[in-house]
Amino acid sequence: MSAEFELSRNITIGQYLPTDSVVHRLDPRFKLAAFVIMILAIAICGTYVGNLFALAICIAMFWVSKIPLHYGLSGVKPAIPFIIILATLQLLFYGEIARGGTVYFQYGFVTISSESVRLVLVSAMRFVEVIFLSSVLTLSTSTTELTHGMERLLGPLQKVKFPVHAFALIITIAIRFVPTFAMEMEKMMKAQASRGADFGTGEWWRIIRRTKDMLPIIIPLFNVALARAEDLILAMEARCYMPGASRTQYTHYKANGKDYAALIISIFISVIMLYIPW
Amino acid sequence: MTADHPIIRVENVSFSYKVNQDQQIPVLQNVSLDVYPGEYLAIIGHNGSGKSTLSKHLNGILTPKTGDVYVNQINTRDRERIYEVRSQVGMVFQHPDNQIVATIVEDDVAFGLENIGIAAHEMRERIDASLEAVGMSAFRHRPPHHLSGGQKQRIAIAGILAMRPQCIVLDEATSMLDSYGRQDILAVIRKLHREGMTIVTVTHHMSEVAEADRVVVMEAGQIVLQGTPREVFAHQQRLRELHLDVPDASRIAALVHQEWEPFSPNLIVNEEVVEEVNRHVIKQAEASGT
Repeated sequence: MSAEFELSRNITIGQYLPTDSVVHRLDPRFKLAAFVIMILAIAICGTYVGNLFALAICIAMFWVSKIPLHYGLSGVKPAIPFIIILATLQLLFYGEIARGGTVYFQYGFVTISSESVRLVLVSAMRFVEVIFLSSVLTLSTSTTELTHGMERLLGPLQKVKFPVHAFALIITIAIRFVPTFAMEMEKMMKAQASRGADFGTGEWWRIIRRTKDMLPIIIPLFNVALARAEDLILAMEARCYMPGASRTQYTHYKANGKDYAALIISIFISVIMLYIPW
Repeated sequence: MTADHPIIRVENVSFSYKVNQDQQIPVLQNVSLDVYPGEYLAIIGHNGSGKSTLSKHLNGILTPKTGDVYVNQINTRDRERIYEVRSQVGMVFQHPDNQIVATIVEDDVAFGLENIGIAAHEMRERIDASLEAVGMSAFRHRPPHHLSGGQKQRIAIAGILAMRPQCIVLDEATSMLDSYGRQDILAVIRKLHREGMTIVTVTHHMSEVAEADRVVVMEAGQIVLQGTPREVFAHQQRLRELHLDVPDASRIAALVHQEWEPFSPNLIVNEEVVEEVNRHVIKQAEASGT
């Protein structure tokens, strides 16, 4: 029963784990750029071997950044139902579109061919790869570094009046409050459960009932979120924050050899992934 | 002290919250108050007395409906100079979690400095100094959600200190903390005050009030009592009417005084009660000739 309420323990996004590895020390601009390149490659690559290779690289990333793999796995766990639903839907409905290869099974509109099986397996692998990669990114990069990186990478957009800084700040704050709200939600679940509310005893297929069960948590959570937002605005204003005003930056990044190397390696890995023919 | 110019001058300030189109709730009514450099001022009052609203006027977070607030001669209505106002009067709020913007302690301390356009190399110095001042240097690379409430509040104070203000306003900054956290914050405040910082604290912990130089009591949006803690706590009856407590020391002293005239009723800290008791014990001993 107790594990059911331990939400803050299961959340990996926005939780920096300082192990001071080479990945941690990368210039966030380069790290982010490398990440985007890898994600694009994962999105495009549709082969078994290419994805196995990518999966191996992602797992290796945990080792390189000295982060225990279970951090990544705990990020995958909540995604498993989605992966299964996605896989089922793809298996049932994508046979017509992903034609080709050997047909294993056909009944009515359901066609299962080697191509549709490949699509299913590859999507599942992609899912896991993306979760692993983003976990490594967020565990090895403080969110401030992340947003700084993003801010610098998006910098040129300022010329077309895109509010780059405000955008970066919104993301920082969103990420900053994830553990806070997880803790808050934990508290609320305990409070409601102690008054007899019932989470998770409804059968899993009764989706409407289970959704309704969550209402006594979601509504107060929104309430608290708004109150917190109001407080935060005051605190930010009290520290001279003005939207749109020019600010200086505490952190200055200077890229060196290892940053360029990381970028080149990520391009290299992507090219291999895309050129593996199977 | 009165010879100096006040850091903050509140002149006939009234303020009300708008409930809907034709209903307003008055929160402050003609409040005037000066805060002098180096002073330790406590504002007390029960919930809804307007004390928090008043404190939010001190650095232009709220601007008065009528009347004016000046910070070093700058009117807080002057939006062009609001940076100056807010970097001179810093503010620490009640909820430790809701004032931290960044995900790493030192970045959070840097937030205010980035806003006022301090150059990067100077920021480093200031961040070092202010984390040192609140005793949190060892935590500079930690994520804030791993810190205790008291530690988070110390970070919030460091974030303000880095901006080199002349005055810090604490808006019930200790009310969400456990007693260890509160003692930590009070120690920091005491130290800052000794070093010349002007402190304004809004609180309902009477033991904190006893340390202040001056106490202002608010009721229904007005200042109803004012003076040194000793003067204010002498009005026990009045304070009780305002649903305010007095420090335990004051209550004990008053009770003993009722029973036994020579005992001084006007004590505000625990040590004074001990001293007073000792004094009488010694006197008695002398009187009985031993």
